[in-house]
Order: sequence, then structure tokens, then C-alpha cells
Amino acid sequence: MKKAVIIFILTALVIAGAILWLMSRSGNLRPADFMSFAVLALVVGFALFFGFKRLISARRGEPVEDELSRKIMRKTSSLSYYISLYLWLAIMYFSDRFVFETHTIIGMGILGMAIVFAVCWLVFNFTGLKNE
Amino acid sequence: MNNRIKEYRARFNFTQEDLAKKVNVRRETIVFLEKNKYNPSLKLAYDIAKVFDCSIEDIFYF
Repeated sequence: MKKAVIIFILTALVIAGAILWLMSRSGNLRPADFMSFAVLALVVGFALFFGFKRLISARRGEPVEDELSRKIMRKTSSLSYYISLYLWLAIMYFSDRFVFETHTIIGMGILGMAIVFAVCWLVFNFTGLKNE
Repeated sequence: MNNRIKEYRARFNFTQEDLAKKVNVRRETIVFLEKNKYNPSLKLAYDIAKVFDCSIEDIFYF
């Protein structure tokens, strides 16, 4: 239950940060900003899905985490870290060829890592961990 | 590894949720086990066998 609440608090902080960012932009939104906002919405959506899943488990009287969910999280973390190394390598490769601001590159990397993590988690959560 | 959890569950008239609560895991874990998408730890296999009052080999087989 506590972990579900922490997820909701973190999600609220991300949403508050996004609102502040939108307010600071105040009408000067570029197409790239909409792209970042869409990715941010995706990450928030994933966090909410994850939080509600845990909350429902807690209300059912089931443990919020068990051996399968812990194993999925471990496997997801290791694979997404491995893929993220290649993501940063690709970002470094393209940053030499195209002109991006430093904070844009870092933002792309962090959001990319979040997407990689979400995709890995979804894959393992639906395909399972056979013969592990 | 294959298992006969579904068969035993039907015999004991347990729902997936009932079994999940008895062995202290989430219902999804029982779903994955029945679909052979997850091999349980020795502890979970032992707990499941204990619930059905049989040996681990009766439920899990290769």
C-alpha cells in the first residue's frame, strides 16, 4: 500500500513539474515540445497504471509484491539498463551530426530510458518468465 | 516444467484468488503458473503442494 502511495506522489510531482514547464513556456510551444509532452503523458499513464494495479492488489488482500513481480522487475531493470547503454550511444552518435541543445539531449535520453523501461516491463509482464 | 495446478484447483474447488491467498502471492502469479509461463521458486512449489496435501512431484513434472 505504501509503495502504491509513493508512486502516486511521484506521479503528482511529475504532473506538477509538467504544468510548471508548460506555464513557463506560455504560448511559445514548438512541435518538439508537443512531442516531449506526449512522451511525458505516456510515462505518467504508465505510472498511474502501475499504481492502480498495486492499489487493487492491496485492496484484494493480496501482497503488493510477490516473487514473480520482483523477478519481473529485476529482469526489466537489467534489460532496460543494457538497452539504455545503446540508446545513449545512439544519442551521442546523432548529437555529433545534428545540433541539439545540451538539455534537449539529456531530456531525450531520460525520456528514452523511461520508455525502454516501460516497454521491457510490459513485454515481461505479458510473456512471462519461462524457464528462469 | 509443466504442472497440474489447474487440475488440483478444480478438484479442491478453489478459485485462482483462493489459491493465491493461501500461498501468499498475487492472482497473476497463479495465472502465469497455470499457463506454464513461470517456474515457481522451491518455496512456492512447496507451499502449493502443501495446500493440495500432496508432494511437489505430484503437481510439477518435466
